[in-house]
Amino acid sequence: MAALRRLGCLLVPGFAAAAAVRAEPALAGQPLVVLDEARPGRRVLETDGTARALGIVPGMTEAAALARPGGVICRERVAAHEAAAQAALLEVALAHSPRVEEGGPGEVYLDAAGLGALFGDEAALARRLAAATAAAGLPARVGIAGSRVAAHLAARWGAGAERVPPEGDAAYLAPAPLGLLGLPVEMARRLERWGLRTLGELAALPARELFERLGAEGPRFQALARGEDPRPLLPWRPPRRFEETRELDWAADNLEPLFALFAELADRVCARLEGEALAADLFEWSCRVAAARGPGREVRGSFVPPVPTREAGAVMAVLRATLAATPPTGAVTALTLRAQPVRMLAAQEPLTGEPRPSPRALAETIARVIGLVGAGNLGVPVLLDTHRPDAIRLEPLNVRAQVLAHVSSPPGGGRGPGEGGVLTLRRLRPPRPAQVRLVGGRPVHLRSDGLAGAVVASAGPWRVSGEWWLESRWGADEWDVELTDGTLGRLAHDGSAWVLEGVYD
Amino acid sequence: MAIAKEPLPPPGWGLESIASVLEAFPRGQLSEIVGPRSAGSSSLLTALLARATAAGDLVALVDGPDAFDPAGAAAAGAELRSLCWVRGGGRLDAACRAAELLARCGGFAWVALDLAADLTGPARTPPTFAPATWIRLQRAVRDTPTRLIVHASRHLAGSAAALVLAVERGPARWMGSPRPRRLDGLGSRVRVLRARPPAPIGGGSGTEWVVAWRL
Repeated sequence: MAALRRLGCLLVPGFAAAAAVRAEPALAGQPLVVLDEARPGRRVLETDGTARALGIVPGMTEAAALARPGGVICRERVAAHEAAAQAALLEVALAHSPRVEEGGPGEVYLDAAGLGALFGDEAALARRLAAATAAAGLPARVGIAGSRVAAHLAARWGAGAERVPPEGDAAYLAPAPLGLLGLPVEMARRLERWGLRTLGELAALPARELFERLGAEGPRFQALARGEDPRPLLPWRPPRRFEETRELDWAADNLEPLFALFAELADRVCARLEGEALAADLFEWSCRVAAARGPGREVRGSFVPPVPTREAGAVMAVLRATLAATPPTGAVTALTLRAQPVRMLAAQEPLTGEPRPSPRALAETIARVIGLVGAGNLGVPVLLDTHRPDAIRLEPLNVRAQVLAHVSSPPGGGRGPGEGGVLTLRRLRPPRPAQVRLVGGRPVHLRSDGLAGAVVASAGPWRVSGEWWLESRWGADEWDVELTDGTLGRLAHDGSAWVLEGVYD
Repeated sequence: MAIAKEPLPPPGWGLESIASVLEAFPRGQLSEIVGPRSAGSSSLLTALLARATAAGDLVALVDGPDAFDPAGAAAAGAELRSLCWVRGGGRLDAACRAAELLARCGGFAWVALDLAADLTGPARTPPTFAPATWIRLQRAVRDTPTRLIVHASRHLAGSAAALVLAVERGPARWMGSPRPRRLDGLGSRVRVLRARPPAPIGGGSGTEWVVAWRL
């Protein structure tokens, strides 16, 4: 005989508001409104019970909510608070059952079968779960039933810590209102026109006729009204932390012992990654530097390997270069190395294309080149969304992303070599100051550092400007010029001075 | 791959011609593109990088004088996601060592080392390099699938270079007459200065093309 299926549901109504109160307990009992992201005309996302009693409902504008009497308090939604509250809810569930499923924000399911010997009967378990979540700062409602949907509806509809008898889901839900199911508006209206008010009335309808009138959605909602949900629990596992720390009994005041200690940490972190068949695409390190008084200060850093790796040698190559370039100033008393795990994707080498580099060799090479030119001088150029000349930033080289991007979106754009070669500008960084003589408003002679001559042809001015609405507004008149020796250059005048921006080549 | 014996059409005028020039640069060898200021040698290098990155190759550009213009390269069709840009900030010796490391790694299909000095008039002296630099670069790229290209104002690598393309300045083209209204482009003459046997380009040394670059 199959074991009886029993599932519990922990549900926090108004989760965003509950998370805000948990983070700021002084808000408890006050009419609280949680707003969506900061922008003009933002709206109410959630309210607590006190604010609901004042007539404030989700979707109202902030101004309309504040206009209500009663001293409404507004808070912006904070993702970190919600993440912490969700983690607390999962921890409560995990403390009572080894099998837990995350149902969504403020909603967690647990396998409640076979817990009697630990916590007593199901009613006691439900009370205990409610008390534990309250102790974690969350006003959760608890339902225990034979299926996920029945447990969820029992949590919503019940008295706060509700237990549905085994095999009694349909009977328990029968008097519950139809609104609990969250039906689509059109279907809810039709069922209301048919005179249906409760889940039991929907459950009692003949399935075939229901299908003929409502389509596939009709029988599906009917099954939910009976508490039928055969989907098994999808176990949730807490995210693994690939982090190693070493506290020192002494203070390391030069780099060599730090390298050796970090190498030990890298070995351990990479061994753990290998054990899980994972790699890491981000490594974070920190050193605690001793202070004359107090606990000291943290020096932190991170690096992105060109390809996800779990090779300690490659990690250490980058770490060595990084620490050598910017060593911690002071004696180090503790070190930590943390890895952000990613699943290793098996990549097949193309038969005809270029071979891909060895991750370790590439990571080590990049680390050594960074050591030569500095961390901010190596990466993939990204054009910024502006017309400002030379507006670029460098992003870390990520070979995996480059391969995936090339596969998913073959390159396009640009004039391309197939449509004729493009004359390239070699930029002078920073632009060189220039002395320009004008005749009739046109440049006739140019003198700059390492360059001088009469202008034999010129075209311009081409006005470039932008961000006039900001303090950082910019603008210049650009000229293309040709000197007697054949040099082609680009000049710019920003209203006060001339500069040579670059040379065409 | 063998290159056609007949004179190639000008690179930059057609997909096939650029592809042929790409094939001309031998793997595992050091090559050079040389040319004075405003001759079009940077445009030729950019066209090669654009073609290689668009084909999905991983390319490293070691930019000694920090003169690379990513917007111009993107306009030429370069796929910037496949380009590792190393900014030398004017430290040409560090750029040479970086190129040596990248070439030795073997992970890049192309490594371009830009050493061209843009403004070296009477007030500035051109940079000098130890002869051993080129031997080290040649040995670094040997036995790898990488093509190493040095871009400079003049021929630097001596016998270490398997292929040397010299770019000579042609006339600039201006639109508008009699007064120029817009710079339209530049003409260049590309000549094979040195092609160590086996000659990677049909015709060997002396082969040349006229190239047109458009702004």
